[in-house]
Amino acid sequence: MHLSLEELLAVRDGEAAPATVEHVAACASCTAELTAIAELKTRLAALPVETPPCDLWPAVSEGARSEHRARRLRFSGWVAAGLAAALTLAVGVRGGVEAWREATLARETRALVAESQRLEQTIGEYGRGGRVVNGRTATLIADLEDRIALIDARIGQLNRDRPSQAAIDLWQERVGLLDALASVQTTRVAYVGL
Amino acid sequence: MPQTQAAVAIQPTVRVENPMWQRHVDESTAMTATPPSQFELQVDELLVARAKRGEHAALEAIYRAFEAPVYTLARRMCRTPHDAEDVVQETFLEVVRSIPRFRGEGSFAGWVRRIAASKALQKLRWESARPLADIQADELDGAPEHVVQGHEALAAAPARADLEAALARLSDAARAVIWLHEVEGYSHDEIAALTGKTASFSKSQLARAYARLRVFLGAPAREEPCT
Repeated sequence: MHLSLEELLAVRDGEAAPATVEHVAACASCTAELTAIAELKTRLAALPVETPPCDLWPAVSEGARSEHRARRLRFSGWVAAGLAAALTLAVGVRGGVEAWREATLARETRALVAESQRLEQTIGEYGRGGRVVNGRTATLIADLEDRIALIDARIGQLNRDRPSQAAIDLWQERVGLLDALASVQTTRVAYVGL
Repeated sequence: MPQTQAAVAIQPTVRVENPMWQRHVDESTAMTATPPSQFELQVDELLVARAKRGEHAALEAIYRAFEAPVYTLARRMCRTPHDAEDVVQETFLEVVRSIPRFRGEGSFAGWVRRIAASKALQKLRWESARPLADIQADELDGAPEHVVQGHEALAAAPARADLEAALARLSDAARAVIWLHEVEGYSHDEIAALTGKTASFSKSQLARAYARLRVFLGAPAREEPCT
């Protein structure tokens, strides 16, 4: 039997088994068929070069420019959207952090104010006796009370609507002075009581 | 100006063929040298570098150098001249779009040819959903502008027209495979990768294309089996 076209093409392309190749070498019909294929291939490759009926470069160039513009617009859109998102995030994060920070400051301030009130109450209870104190203790008490008054004056200058670290620092200082004052009073009462 | 630059920067290459089977056939009847693919051009690296930077003149020079090879490939593979023009535009849009990413791993001409082949196959897939009857007569009648050179070319015109007509009568798949394999030099594996089919499919389409072409061209039937 003669080889099929697919087998002949395999022979031509060097993909056929040795026996198939030997058949072509020995068979004039298959050899002629292979030659006809080769001639047809040559004719195909020799078909003339064709050129477009009109110049397509202006359309290609304009198309490329349009795509470039569209990409830039998309890019600008994404950048704008990205910036907006980043800004929103920043504001949100900043807002969130700020709110958390303010809440923390307010909580600490409230605790210090409560402590301050507790100490004032304690000092008031100890001081209600009107007992005599020595000069050194009286000077110490007066000094502490003056410093507390200064702190109160500074606290009065702060914005009460917005908690701040400065307010906390002042309230901490006030609590410390009150604690010292309370200690003096406690000691005095204890001493006098003896 | 761009055409002059292209002429200097882009030169044809020479292809030497030595098919194994030629050892087994009579030299007097062996095929003549196959003309090289129109894509076998050497493109100057500087021109490609300029095009990669987006220089308009360089991109146009590349277009001028490859418009005919791309259009010829598209015209041979597609159904109508209109489709071929679409393929040319889509190919060069892709070239302009993708050239910044061209790494020079293969030849530039091969890269352009691959894009063109891919676009032509896409067009065939798109058109395959469109019945031939729907194609307007003027799309089919678009007479190609052949580059006719000399008296010999004019004398060969009838045979050429017959071959072009026969090629046009092949199925889309057979026409694409025979052109890509036999003229552009793609292997069956490469065609399989391009088409999304198997290498066996490509081989069978090639055999079918030759069989049909020979019938369309009025080739004599094969002799009776010898053994």
